[in-house]
Amino acid sequence: MSERFQITRAAELASLSVFRQFISDCCAKFRVPDGTVFELKLAVDEACTNIIEHGYKGMDPGSIILSFRIESDRILVQITDFGHVFEPAEAPKPDIEAALEDRPLGGMGLFLIYKTMDNIDYQTSEDGNILTFTKYIKRETNP
Amino acid sequence: MEIHDRQADGVTILSLRGSIDAMTAPKITEFIQGQVSRGNIKLVADFSGVDYTSSAGLRVLLGAIKETRAQGGDLRLTGVQPDVLKVLNLSGFTNILKMFDTADAAVASYS
Repeated sequence: MSERFQITRAAELASLSVFRQFISDCCAKFRVPDGTVFELKLAVDEACTNIIEHGYKGMDPGSIILSFRIESDRILVQITDFGHVFEPAEAPKPDIEAALEDRPLGGMGLFLIYKTMDNIDYQTSEDGNILTFTKYIKRETNP
Repeated sequence: MEIHDRQADGVTILSLRGSIDAMTAPKITEFIQGQVSRGNIKLVADFSGVDYTSSAGLRVLLGAIKETRAQGGDLRLTGVQPDVLKVLNLSGFTNILKMFDTADAAVASYS
């Protein structure tokens, strides 16, 4: 059994808080632990920021479709856009041990997605670019 | 995002309230650059009202720390909330910035 929710918004920075609120609202319906809610909001924010700032670069800004599906032990979040193809696995990895002066100002967003999500899948087709995050729900068991 | 500033013992305390993302981050950068251009390079950012940050907040902090330290100052944090601390920890930022439990302690660290 699973339930699914979806919203579509313009690919603009003002939509970021709407996407985060959508994740919070969906998670609240199913009493998802706070730490998991935060990680999902962060991963969605980072992915949508990349789409807004890079995916639609040089194009008319399009839309982002965000869907949330919850199953017994996991949450699947799907982000669909219609901009340039971006292969997450090919992005450079930041050095988080680097000294201050050696750290570039950007490049942390994707790293945070990989640190917080359990699985990341990216598919492109004529129906758009579809990024799917899987996050397992670790519920605290009552004594 | 709301930002207020006040002075204490030659240190500028910036109190931030709201969420930091790619939408709100430029306002904070602009505010900090305004302080630095007026010669206020000893900064304390009070994050007790910041409930969320994405990597956009990391970019703001890194830029501000680099800029102030290059001029002999710094940006130090206080009041960091658990979710924000998680982002700082994940990204290794806790190694490069100084954090304090209270704004008073952060101000005192400059003397």
